[in-house]
Amino acid sequence: METSHEEWSQRNRDLAGLLARAGLGDRAAFARLYERSSAHLFAVILRINRDRSHAEDVLQEVFVKVWRHAESFDAAQSQPLTWLTSIARNHAIDGLRRQRVQPRIQPLPPHGGAGPGDAPPDESDPYDNVEDTRPGPLELLSQASQARAITSCMQALNAQQRQCVALAFYNGLSHAEVAEQLRQPLGTVKSWVRRGLLTLKNCLQRSMQTGTASREA
Amino acid sequence: MDYSRPQRADRLAADYVTGTMRGLARRRFEALLPAHAALRAAVRSWNEQLMPLTASIPPVPPPPRVWQRIEARISTRSVATAARPAGWSALAFWRGLSAFATVAAISLALLLASPQPAIAPIIVVLEAATPGEAGVLPASFVASISGDGRALVTRPLNVSVQADRALELWAVPPSGAPRSLGLISAAGATVVHRGKLLDGVAALAVSLEPVGGSPSGTPTEPILYVGKLTL
Repeated sequence: METSHEEWSQRNRDLAGLLARAGLGDRAAFARLYERSSAHLFAVILRINRDRSHAEDVLQEVFVKVWRHAESFDAAQSQPLTWLTSIARNHAIDGLRRQRVQPRIQPLPPHGGAGPGDAPPDESDPYDNVEDTRPGPLELLSQASQARAITSCMQALNAQQRQCVALAFYNGLSHAEVAEQLRQPLGTVKSWVRRGLLTLKNCLQRSMQTGTASREA
Repeated sequence: MDYSRPQRADRLAADYVTGTMRGLARRRFEALLPAHAALRAAVRSWNEQLMPLTASIPPVPPPPRVWQRIEARISTRSVATAARPAGWSALAFWRGLSAFATVAAISLALLLASPQPAIAPIIVVLEAATPGEAGVLPASFVASISGDGRALVTRPLNVSVQADRALELWAVPPSGAPRSLGLISAAGATVVHRGKLLDGVAALAVSLEPVGGSPSGTPTEPILYVGKLTL
């Protein structure tokens, strides 16, 4: 799949016009905005909220909000896809919080022999119930790094540090959840995520500068 | 805490944008955004850098029913601007409103970030009117009022209300009867759009009311939280 920065920018140019017209109450433009961005936003939400019907609810909320607030989108301040994706991720993360406040009853996995009361929380991990055909977070990060030509720059981090960033960003895990998954102390994970994000941002900024320079040359 | 310190703002924004900042810290951070340009700039910068990385996620087309539901909802009038008295009390209304609070906060932040309105937003912290009273938690609200006085966002900080009670927000003039600004959610943010929120208002107050709000138009039950406006 094409994931270059140019492709992202091109999609943004297409969406900017649709979003501006949706802001003026143009339903047809809003429908096209949905057509062109919903599969991306649904995929982003699904990685964080793995419950499909819950992810559908989140997507629905996101677009209803986008419709009501399209007029406040400022193309001078941010790119449409960046704006839409950040709204979708915010809702997905807030959705996680609400799910925990109001836990849903989950059917026991077929291989789980124990009764509901006996299952320790880590055995009913929702990740166990998800088909594993989709790319893992580290794979997504490395694809994104390749597309943005920052792979060698990202070598400044070790594999576990990259994994920390990828789990937090793509799968929406909290520090504690990353620590649990990687079986590392919480403090270590926090500093790895921090260092990982800073490295990532520096790499992206450098790549953007050199990219701009080479286009201008 | 000094949120204008670039390193601190950058660290918080990274936590927020990545999503590792959760729960109360996340709500508090969102409440701070309208008032802190440095935080908004840091959030924008992290969003710009990180969001394009989601392009490597293979797209998943949602089922057609999602669009059908969206279409059904947007074909009715926007809840936020619909006639107040009827809609005010409906539970679904509040659920919807608190759910879109994040977007509202972002759009409010975007509005405030745009160069035209140079008037700074006003943050009012509402504190327990009778601290330490039995049964009342030392909880509070944060209200951010846009600089032009036309929009207000309230966020609860550790507030809980019995199921048969509701919280109502009041604009309190220096003298005379308070004016109702409607019910506000104890669970999430509430957005209030009014023509002139700040005119002749000395304080904001939250009272405990029966579900549906005060029947008389004046606070009937105890005032729980109060915050003075200092302009």
